[in-house]
Amino acid sequence: MAALLWLLTPALASAQLSPGERLPVHSLTLRNGMRLVILPRSGAPTVSFVVQYGVGGVNERLGTTGIAHLLEHMLFKGTTTVGTRNVDAELALFPGMDAAHDSLVRARSSGNSATVHRLDQLIGELEDSARVFVEANEFDRILTRAGAQGLNATTTNGSTIYFVELPSNRTELWFALEADRLLNPVFREYYSERDVVTEERRMRVETSPGGVLYEAHLAAAFTMHPYGVPVVGYMADLEVLSRSDVETYYRRFYGPNNAVVAIVGDIDPDRVERWARDYLGPIPGGETPDAVTAVEPKQLGERRVVVEWDAEPALRIGWHVPAGVHDDAPTLAILTSLLTGGRTSRLHRRLVIEDQIAGGVFSSLGPGSRYPQLLQIDTSPLAPHTTEELERAIYEEIARLASDGPTPNELERVRNQIAAGSIRRMQSHLGLAFQLAESVSLFGDWTETFRFSAQLRAVTADDVQRMARLYLTQQNRTVATLVKKDGS
Amino acid sequence: MNTCARGLLIAIAFVACPLLALQAQLPIGRAALNGLDYPTIDFRPPIPDEYNVAGVPVLLLEDHALPLVSVYARFKGGYGLFGRESYAAGTALPSQIRYGGTKELSPDSVDKALEYYAIQTSFGGTGEALSANMNTLVQHLPAAMELWGAMLAEPAFDSTQVEIWRARQRESIRRRADNSGGLAFSEFNRLLYGDHPIGWEMEDTDLSPALLSSQSLAELHRRVVCRENLVLGLTGDMRWQDFRPLLEAFVRTLPVCEGTVPPSPIPDIREEPGVYLIEKDLEQSVIVMAHTTDVRLADDSSYYSATIGNLILGGGGFSSRILSRVRTEAGFAYSASSLWTMPRRYDGLLGAITRTSPENTIPAIELILETMEGLRTAPPEAGEIQTAVERIVNGFVFNFETPGRIVSRTMFYLAQDLPSDWLERYLNGIQRVTAEGIHDALARYLRPAEMMILIVGDPDRIGRDAIAALGPVTVLDIN
Repeated sequence: MAALLWLLTPALASAQLSPGERLPVHSLTLRNGMRLVILPRSGAPTVSFVVQYGVGGVNERLGTTGIAHLLEHMLFKGTTTVGTRNVDAELALFPGMDAAHDSLVRARSSGNSATVHRLDQLIGELEDSARVFVEANEFDRILTRAGAQGLNATTTNGSTIYFVELPSNRTELWFALEADRLLNPVFREYYSERDVVTEERRMRVETSPGGVLYEAHLAAAFTMHPYGVPVVGYMADLEVLSRSDVETYYRRFYGPNNAVVAIVGDIDPDRVERWARDYLGPIPGGETPDAVTAVEPKQLGERRVVVEWDAEPALRIGWHVPAGVHDDAPTLAILTSLLTGGRTSRLHRRLVIEDQIAGGVFSSLGPGSRYPQLLQIDTSPLAPHTTEELERAIYEEIARLASDGPTPNELERVRNQIAAGSIRRMQSHLGLAFQLAESVSLFGDWTETFRFSAQLRAVTADDVQRMARLYLTQQNRTVATLVKKDGS
Repeated sequence: MNTCARGLLIAIAFVACPLLALQAQLPIGRAALNGLDYPTIDFRPPIPDEYNVAGVPVLLLEDHALPLVSVYARFKGGYGLFGRESYAAGTALPSQIRYGGTKELSPDSVDKALEYYAIQTSFGGTGEALSANMNTLVQHLPAAMELWGAMLAEPAFDSTQVEIWRARQRESIRRRADNSGGLAFSEFNRLLYGDHPIGWEMEDTDLSPALLSSQSLAELHRRVVCRENLVLGLTGDMRWQDFRPLLEAFVRTLPVCEGTVPPSPIPDIREEPGVYLIEKDLEQSVIVMAHTTDVRLADDSSYYSATIGNLILGGGGFSSRILSRVRTEAGFAYSASSLWTMPRRYDGLLGAITRTSPENTIPAIELILETMEGLRTAPPEAGEIQTAVERIVNGFVFNFETPGRIVSRTMFYLAQDLPSDWLERYLNGIQRVTAEGIHDALARYLRPAEMMILIVGDPDRIGRDAIAALGPVTVLDIN
């Protein structure tokens, strides 16, 4: 058992392959550029599928924010054959709807509310008339009948990820549906689905104190880089995004060359490879997406933002740090663990146990790992204590860590947890599929996610001190505070 | 089929056509569905071995895939069984076992040991039971069992940790209204269940030192954490002969129970329909509605018909009517579902949940009620029934996806007094449902006109008259 060896002889073990690196993963790149990682595993006859596209919030521009996420929704709407009773009749109604929408956008910008209302109703009526030809939610229903679990997708700053688990005897069904989804999507029921996304924004942001503070914090921390823009999009943009915007975006970013597929479970890898070549191989390669060239300028002084809200106080602090592929990334991950990873961590001990001024304290690296990001801390005070007290205590602890470094025992605890975590992360098919897809997408190599564990274990106390001094400075931080609105 | 070959479509199928220059070699989409063969799954689900250690039932499922071991403990006795005066202590008990130290180790020493050995623990509770789970690398199992066992059997309930918990609870009370969804559910339960544990919400009075202290925790611990209340589950990279001495040592540290825990109280659920409003300036209203039903978790046709009926009504995601109509068709909400609880020993609730903009609040409520009425008056379609049944039958293998899932589920059956072959009975019962049985269940149990409806939102934007048109309105003061 390699885990045993790590814990007993970490220096010797560093030269060995970790259990993750020894997984029998089959890698495959199709001629159209699609990359696949296939991992057969014994156990229950189930299989997990993850498709990760290298597109997310960072690929948006002001005016069309939220488009990656809206597109994610639209890709559950079916294709030219799935989800329709008469696709020709459906598609014939799209131009009328879209023209009405264009007029509505113009009327809204000129403040003509009566016209806006009339056109809004017209679009609804046209979409209802198209619905006669729609077999609603058929894509979902086919998979549900096959016994699918957890059919869903998520859009992040850097990726859009589709996932599902199926009984393993339905593996070929997944290929037949996924190839169709890539080739022949139809963005039916577009306007009602866009309304659904506005409701999602209301739920996640506009009625959530945490959501509204997070959005304000990122907007203040990133003035140039699209990490400052919410993945779910701004309401004003969502209300004007057109079907053709989404189609254009789809064609630009959803080529097979921008996709990574991970398949993990009770499968025959050779047969899965054949299905991959037969079903996904013939899909033509897509455009090469434009790289994100925006670079956040060096922050020249502390930034502070205050959100007044009908809620109790909360605090977020973020320091600019490099991307997840940077050499400093392992040390920053360890630094995060030392600050808030567990009850013995520096900030939990100080804020929650010793001073008893916070209910909890959390830290993370984000909002994405592909580009320079934030080391962010999230906490809230226990009344009558204040966010100012929390800030003072946090800065004191960081200064102490930068000056004295972590103790050997602290580092050992973190290293042992990393070693155990590298075993635990292999328990779930779906969890492994996510890790493999992310590793290929970010690093171009499925083994990198497992090698990262070894890099984490190699981090020294000096490394931690150096990172704390370099990045966790006053000049480099952005502080967002939620304060209770007067009278609420 | 290449749809772009059709003349008219070339001009309008802007999405699909550019990518269709080359077609996939195998049929895809709908064309593929009838041609695919699904080989029969040849799978014998593993069955946990059953043992007994000094009167404690033990379920074991060996799993040698990874060098990990998990231990699951379930004790009869939760916060809902000992009266309101023990509510805070009962709620705090699981976390204070974790955080309060042991007779030999301070809270800090426990934290350090758990983190040093990378032992994961979780302590939780329901109204009726306390659960304590532990996962460790197999090489640390003896140390982990000793530490986890001491936390359970010999907790110190350190007074500082009790004060930290009390302060955090008070802060949670202060922040209750910040989360509109959580607020809606807690108030809804309070309205329906009144002074039953399901309806309780933590109040400052529950947290007084007279009710919550190291001593009250110790007294409650003595009543709950004892041998006769315990069922153990084990999974992982360990054989019974190696496990056994560790378990025997652990069980020996537990006292024999001084008495039996009281039975779960039967709720007296409010039956009166009505509309309740919590006024809050929100961009999105929260809507919860329900009435009582007497379908119970049991091996009978009513339960199976109601289970399938619920999947058709709103428990089956996009394949169910509520989400299809409220989200897909109307675009009113991101999430919308039915709510049908079927407890083992007492009545449950049948209703629905959604969130929508203030302006769409009343239309969404009306649409949900109309959808319910539709299912009450006309039988579901054959395709809907097929989808609901196949979802369960074809997805059945996921019940056996991990050893932990198998063992935990078997422990649940024991706790609920269900037969050990319950899952098999369930599968058979689901496959025997008929269209008539489902329609009978929906017609009998669904009473949309009798819903108690709670709205959290801005009445001025929702429309006060429109709210009043739903029924007599009671404004709730959450302060």
